[in-house]
Amino acid sequence: MAKVHEITVWARGVIMDKEGRDVINIFAKAAQMDGKHAQAFDNYEDLPDRVLVTVRKYVRLSDEEIEHKYVYTNDQPEVVVIAEATIVKGIDVLLGMKKGGTLIINTNRSIDSMLKFIPNADLLSTIATVDADGITGVRTVDFSGSEGGVDESGIGKGIAAPIVGAIAKVTGMIKKEHLAKIVSDVSGMERGYKEVKIKKLG
Amino acid sequence: MAKELPGYGTINVPKDREVPFGAVTPAPVCTQNLFQTSNWRIVRPVKDDEKCTRCLICYLSCPDACWIYKEEEDMMEWVAGFCKGCQICINECPTGALTAAPELDFPDGVVRLEKPF
Ligand code: SF4
Ligand code: SF4
Repeated sequence: MAKVHEITVWARGVIMDKEGRDVINIFAKAAQMDGKHAQAFDNYEDLPDRVLVTVRKYVRLSDEEIEHKYVYTNDQPEVVVIAEATIVKGIDVLLGMKKGGTLIINTNRSIDSMLKFIPNADLLSTIATVDADGITGVRTVDFSGSEGGVDESGIGKGIAAPIVGAIAKVTGMIKKEHLAKIVSDVSGMERGYKEVKIKKLG
Repeated sequence: MAKELPGYGTINVPKDREVPFGAVTPAPVCTQNLFQTSNWRIVRPVKDDEKCTRCLICYLSCPDACWIYKEEEDMMEWVAGFCKGCQICINECPTGALTAAPELDFPDGVVRLEKPF
C-alpha cells in the first residue's frame, strides 16, 4: 500500500465547526481533482455541538486506494492545521506526529510567540501562520453539511478559504488552481496563499 | 447515607456528596479534576479590583462556579482550570470590573490536554 498522508485540522465546536469541516472537504476535493485518493471526515470522538470545545477534522491522502477506512482518527498526522490559535495552548496538537511535520496556524500573532506555547516544537520542520480572520473576518455557522448531509451554504466562504490557500502554499499537497474551482471566496483563498508566513525549523 | 430505592436496591451516598431536593447546594464541594475545561477559552475575564464592589453577581451567573468570594481578603477569586471563557460574567458584571482578554496574552492558566477533553 502506498504511503497514506494524514492531515488533522483543529477547530472549535459550533462557532468554527463548519469552517473546520470546509477545510477538510476542500482539501480532499482538490486532491481528488489531481487524481489522488482522499478521505475527509469529522465529528468522531469529539463534541462539535458544544460551543468552543476543541474538535478534530481529518483528511487522508494517498496515490493509491486507502484501505484502512474504518479507522476514524489520524494517529500520526504529518500536517496539523489550527483554525483558532488558542488551541495550541490547551492541546498537544502535535501528539503522534513524527519528526519533520508541519503546523499551520490561523493567527495574526508572530510565529515565535506561537512557538512559546508548543513545548514539543522540535517535531516540526515547518511552522506557518496565516491571518485568516484578518483576511475574511467571516465564520459560517451551519450544521447542514455535518453527518454526511449536503452543505447548503456552499464551501469556503469564510476563514476556510485563506486557510486552504495557505495549506496549498506550505505543503504543496494540493494545487491553487483546483482550490479556485471549489471555494466560494476565491480572492480570500488567493490572499491566504500569498500572505502565509512560513518558518523552517531545525 | 444508605437508602432503599425500589427496583435499584440499596444506594449509599457519602455524606459530603448528598444534595437536597432540587439539587441546590450552597457551593461546589469539590472540583472534577478529570474534566478540566480551561482549553475551551479563547478569552478570559480579567478583574479590576478598584471597580469591583463584591456584589457577587459573577459568582451567581457563572455556569461553572468559577468565581469564589474569599471572605478573609474580601476579594473575588477566579478559577482558571474550569473557566470556559463564555463571557457571561463579563456581560452581567454591573460595574464594568470584568473585561475580556485574549488567552494567548498570558503564558499560563490553561491545562494542556492530549485530547479535546
Ligand atoms: S459581578 Fe463584577 S462587581 Fe460584582 S463581584 Fe463580580 S467582578 Fe465584582
Ligand atoms: S467566562 Fe464564563 S465560565 Fe468563565 S468565569 Fe465568566 S461566566 Fe464563568
